[in-house]
Amino acid sequence: MIDVVVIGLGPAGLSAALKLAESGRTVKLVAKGEGGFQLSQGTVDILGYSPERVTSPLAAISGLPGGHPYVGIGADKVRDAVLWLRDTVGDELLVGDLAENYVLPTAVGAMRPTALAQPSMVAAHQASSYAVVGVRQLKDFPAELLAGNLGCQVAWVDLPARKEVDSSAHMFARAMDDPGYARRFASAVAAVAPKGAVLLLPAILGVKPGTWRRISDQLGRPIAEVPMQPPSVPGIRLHDALLAKFKAAGGRVIIGSRVVGCKTAGGRVASVTVAVAGGPRDLRASDFVFAPGGFASGAITVDSRGKISEPLFGLPLTQTDANAVVGPDYWAPHPLFEVGVETDDAGRAKYDNLYLAGDIIAGAERWREKSGEGIAVATAVRAAESIMGGRA
Amino acid sequence: MKSLEADVVVIGGGSTGVGVVRDAAMRGYRAVLLERADLGQGTTARFHGLLHSGGRYVVSDPQSATECAEENAIVKRIQADAVEATGGFFVVTPGDDPGFADKFLAGAAATGVPAREIPVAEALRREPLLNPGILRAIEVEDGSVDGWQLVWGAARSAQAYGAEVLTYHKVVGIEREGDRVSAVLARDVKKGEDVRIDCGFVLNCAGPWAGQVAAFAGLHDVNVVAGRGIMVAMNHRLVNTVINRCVYPTDGDILVPVHTVSIIGTTDVKEDDPDVLAIPRAEVQQMLDAGEKLVPTFRNARALHAWAGARPLIKDDRVAATDTRHMSRGMAVLDHASRDGLKGMLTIGGGKLTTYRLMAEHIVDAMCDQLGDTERKCRTADEPVPGSESRKLYQVTHRLAEVEEERLTDPVICECELLRRSVLVKTMKEQPNATLDDIRRQTRLGMGPCQGGFCSTRAAGIAVAEKVVDAERATGLLRLFLKNRWIGLWPILAGDQVRQTALDHWIIQGIYDVEHLPQPEQEVVL
Repeated sequence: MIDVVVIGLGPAGLSAALKLAESGRTVKLVAKGEGGFQLSQGTVDILGYSPERVTSPLAAISGLPGGHPYVGIGADKVRDAVLWLRDTVGDELLVGDLAENYVLPTAVGAMRPTALAQPSMVAAHQASSYAVVGVRQLKDFPAELLAGNLGCQVAWVDLPARKEVDSSAHMFARAMDDPGYARRFASAVAAVAPKGAVLLLPAILGVKPGTWRRISDQLGRPIAEVPMQPPSVPGIRLHDALLAKFKAAGGRVIIGSRVVGCKTAGGRVASVTVAVAGGPRDLRASDFVFAPGGFASGAITVDSRGKISEPLFGLPLTQTDANAVVGPDYWAPHPLFEVGVETDDAGRAKYDNLYLAGDIIAGAERWREKSGEGIAVATAVRAAESIMGGRA
Repeated sequence: MKSLEADVVVIGGGSTGVGVVRDAAMRGYRAVLLERADLGQGTTARFHGLLHSGGRYVVSDPQSATECAEENAIVKRIQADAVEATGGFFVVTPGDDPGFADKFLAGAAATGVPAREIPVAEALRREPLLNPGILRAIEVEDGSVDGWQLVWGAARSAQAYGAEVLTYHKVVGIEREGDRVSAVLARDVKKGEDVRIDCGFVLNCAGPWAGQVAAFAGLHDVNVVAGRGIMVAMNHRLVNTVINRCVYPTDGDILVPVHTVSIIGTTDVKEDDPDVLAIPRAEVQQMLDAGEKLVPTFRNARALHAWAGARPLIKDDRVAATDTRHMSRGMAVLDHASRDGLKGMLTIGGGKLTTYRLMAEHIVDAMCDQLGDTERKCRTADEPVPGSESRKLYQVTHRLAEVEEERLTDPVICECELLRRSVLVKTMKEQPNATLDDIRRQTRLGMGPCQGGFCSTRAAGIAVAEKVVDAERATGLLRLFLKNRWIGLWPILAGDQVRQTALDHWIIQGIYDVEHLPQPEQEVVL
């Protein structure tokens, strides 16, 4: 018998599933894709812009407009949730005290605020000067653009991850977990690296959490990993850590299968139907956590006439006509991407035992304000605690 | 001020202008082309990509039909690298008058447009997504053509014959001495430099802007009507053959497979200002409905991008000015000597891309007549342009073959369009002042499903790495590119393109924080 089915494998789904499994619930996690971490910068945002740059993210929560997902939760619970995540994965993967945002360079040279970061990144915060080293065979790290925008020196190393010129960041990171390759990489970097207080390197320093430290030690100078577009190596580290903890806590996972339907009765969800190999299968549970992502994952859809919907449970959305919320100014806010589902204070929508977490929840354009992981984890913890509280 | 001398100045870098400058240069004239923006940016490549067989006009406009059929063969011969010989069908969809197909076949026979009726079953076998309810199908020799490739090929040919092709040169004045044109004044908008070109002749090929250009010479009654049409690109080839509705020309009557996409077009709405062309979401719906008639699953496919172009139609009093479709699409040459008493200037209007070479021949013939140079004959119909010497027609699989060949040495920068780094770098180095959109028009950077989400930052980085631009300009170019892509995205935003756009915003804003990059005091616009 399953207590809770969690749908979704991103920061929200993994957090809710882990929290519930650690409390002794029998949890099954179902997901179609690999989740949002692998698409992310691999840090934990709470609030970076509102709309001006935010220094103290928890303090800024009180200034958010009604309808924002944080407003019903409150700064204290957001803090508790994010610190729970930090302490759960440990300081090998996330550091920070939430007093002030880190401000870390992105691969194109913008200075981006974030609440918690990986220890391999934080040397870049408030560094007095930088240097950049890129890798010839890694096209997703525009080293000269980064260096130019930071006003620092740049150099390249020529070191394929394997016999090709077009390897992904993930491929490099896997190579880097081989100590021999990491040694060659560090030697090559040492030979060319320009002067600068902190040496910025692409975020490819191992899929395993400790690999970057070996490279740093060999180089003997402060380094910082700079996140790039997907596949995100830092994101994969967080994903792997949470998934491993969930499994260790007894959680079970179905990956690669879409939830295609649900059965409901008396205002409650009785089961969800999963398209597994061999045919559809119903998963019954007492409670359901719905953390499927938002527009990017396809959990919220827009048809060719502009009708916005949430097709699985038919949840009510804050806006159903895309024509009313798209506009011509690229740099202005995009209200389409604030559309989602409103929940009650327990995180529920439409059904008494359906709890929502993450991007499916309305009220924030996460990429603009840099708030995705914070909303995901805070709403996931709310969902888990509502379920645990209700059945305690 | 920079000074140049020329026999003839050609104004306008669309297909007509480059055709004219090539023709004039091949006849031995010293020719200069002035284009206010990039080649093919105004009207030429803002179309559906059709190389007409002539079929579209066999009933409505027999002369155009014959010209199209002849020029179709010529363009394939001289610009093979810009043309894919897709073939085309004219199909009678349910509810259309089946009798029109008989008129069509008779018209095709009379105009010399190759056409043959094929069994509906054969049409459906060759194009499985085609509406199974079609009543009749006629096969023609339509092709698809890359408008930018076409104009750049002609421009390079002209350059090989000594012509100067000056893009981003905006005409600011036309001088006259007595009753003759004597010079054209232009501004190099990239360098902020003025240019004076003393010349004996001016050929006004500015399309929808021809009236504005004529006004520089004091001619204020050249009325060009801009007929706006929108096009929508779908994310893959729903068909491999051009599909036309076999009806009298109407909105949304054609679906063209071009490169990796298919394009539905088009509408026709009179506009006052060719610089302000809307893409109304309602017209996009009209295109999707039209697509459903040809391919019943059309609305399930993914719209990638939309654009609008302005047809230039010289005003003709025989039809109402609001009904641009039924104005003549034939070319019109205005002789300002007989019309306005100004010697040395001709304005050309109307016409269509498929017949651009013939239009150029006519206008240069007219110039030769006025100059008394009747021995200088047109030579443009036989000699291939640079890049098309092999006379091998384009195939959609070309780039895949090259990527396979170079996979161990040359990274793919734009996966959607299989653009290799070496090709991108070569194009950037040839045009160091180019924007990423200029580069896009020649390389297809960012034109596929991701619309620049993955490749735009790579391209900006490469431009700095290869020392084409500095980081400040690269940052400005990146911002401009993203902003411009959005113009054609938001009107069609639906279906899986919403999902793609969400991912793109996640990358560009969420991960890279591009909106908070160090900004120049003024946004880059050129």
